Amino acid sequence: MNRFVSGPTKGLFAVLRVVLALAYLVPLAWVVVTSLKSGPEVLRSPNALLFTPTLDTYRDVVGDGLEAIATSLQIAVLVTLVVLVVAVPAAFALARRISPVWERVIAVGLAVLLVLQMVPQPMTVIPLFSVLAQWGLLGNLAGLVLADIALLLPFGVMLLRPFALAISPSLYEAAEIDGASTVQSFRLITVPMLSNGIFTVMSVIFITAWGEFVYAINFLPLGVVPPVSGLLAQQNTTYAANWNDLMALAVLTSLPLLVVFVLSQRRLRSGLSLGAVK
Amino acid sequence: MTTLGGRTLPAATRTPRRRPGRVRRRPPVVFLLPTAVLLVVFGAYPLLVLVQMSFSDVGPATIIGPWDFVGLDNYADVLGGAEVWRSLLRTVAVAAVLLLSNLVLGFVVASLLSFEGRVTSLVLSVMVFIWALPPLVSGSTWRFLLDDTGLVNAVLGLVGVGPVPWLSEPRLALWSVTAVIAWGALPFSALILRGGLLAVDPQVVEAAAIDGAGYWRTQVQVVLPLLRPTLWILGILTVLYAFKSFDYFYVLTQGGPGTATNTLPVQSYYAAFTDFDMSTGATVAVVAMAVVVALAVPYVRSLRREGDA
Repeated sequence: MNRFVSGPTKGLFAVLRVVLALAYLVPLAWVVVTSLKSGPEVLRSPNALLFTPTLDTYRDVVGDGLEAIATSLQIAVLVTLVVLVVAVPAAFALARRISPVWERVIAVGLAVLLVLQMVPQPMTVIPLFSVLAQWGLLGNLAGLVLADIALLLPFGVMLLRPFALAISPSLYEAAEIDGASTVQSFRLITVPMLSNGIFTVMSVIFITAWGEFVYAINFLPLGVVPPVSGLLAQQNTTYAANWNDLMALAVLTSLPLLVVFVLSQRRLRSGLSLGAVK
Repeated sequence: MTTLGGRTLPAATRTPRRRPGRVRRRPPVVFLLPTAVLLVVFGAYPLLVLVQMSFSDVGPATIIGPWDFVGLDNYADVLGGAEVWRSLLRTVAVAAVLLLSNLVLGFVVASLLSFEGRVTSLVLSVMVFIWALPPLVSGSTWRFLLDDTGLVNAVLGLVGVGPVPWLSEPRLALWSVTAVIAWGALPFSALILRGGLLAVDPQVVEAAAIDGAGYWRTQVQVVLPLLRPTLWILGILTVLYAFKSFDYFYVLTQGGPGTATNTLPVQSYYAAFTDFDMSTGATVAVVAMAVVVALAVPYVRSLRREGDA
């Protein structure tokens, strides 16, 4: 495509790309810059570019921040694990068109998953609050984890299924002829061949569970150490003007995400477009 | 069971139990069961409870139930009031802006990013990172940037404008939040459209170029029609997103000032969890759900047409 673009147009594109880069980089940079200012400094001149960087703010918030990260890690890891363990077999089952009856099951299953995936979360939180309370699951991590799983499971299955569909049915047929059971086919063909998809879905679920806050702020009692999202929500409402604290917390609590991002961004780029559209 | 060495398939060494071609396939029900159970219990059942709540009198003291059945009273209250219609209108406005930004801007950005290069790969990385960032983090950032003393107003101040009360002026707040939502949603749509662009056969584009069509004319007249299925799905996802979007509202305005930024999800949430009027919250939610389901039908159909199901 490159060859067919004229010189001036090319120049314009280069400029536009830089504008785009700035639109996304400046806010990020501003978070980091502000987190390195002291409280009085931020109050005095919130937009100063020249200042003496200090780690004071980080010293103040690191205690709360690390505790929250620990809680979030528990939640996000548990949710990711369960979603994967449950979603991989489901994606396998929904990709095997073995009989007309089963194809109908697949069609219905997919429709249900799509609808569940579309239900807005600020709305599921209302009945879930009551349902979890009824079952004694309100106010503990188990209830929150279960709610998160239900929230992300449809997404996980839908994202994995295109990867499962890409496995050629002839592989399964060959295995069947050799006498492999369905479990064996699943374990020896599907799981190894899905590794790319599993990795992508793992990152996406972890990222989403890490950022989830609507359930977190409603299903956990006040005394409990909040997860990252809960802490940020609290900071946002109670300490409205402590920008440096808020920005330092934002940086701190995004660090684990940065790790996931560095590990997975290439796959995310391609995997997302595949899973989301197909 | 025979031992299976490594990842090789079993029984090349073993006599087949069944004759080839007459393999009886059992449907993999067991594989689907855990997902089905979890989603029925924690996904579908709560939705039934939501509908039940919208027909009942649920207050802060009776969250667990049993609830008094009140028929259509909640619906009469909600639909009879002006607020839900205003919220619906706001939700539609947000959806319209997001459609423009996700599809038009998204296509332009995707085109810009379909050239290889150092800046491209930097922009892609930053955009994927923004997508991955918790909305609370990017939302807090924008609350700071849009503050009366924030960076945006400081820059405007340099040219003698402002300070503009982006989030506290009732007529402006909805558009400010929508702009932030659009900023947050653009990476996803640009990535998807870029995936579609890269999948377009280069020969088609070359043929158009040889015929003398300029870059943007080729993009609009040749490439864009090829992306129609992707654009269609992205469009529906975008509208659905407007009916879901809550995080940025929560961080930036909490529905205020007054009710100036109440969309349907925002109104429903705050009715339930700030006013503790679960019935009203549930009723607004069901109204919004009706719209979502109406949109879900063409979405599911278009996915089928793609040959996916």
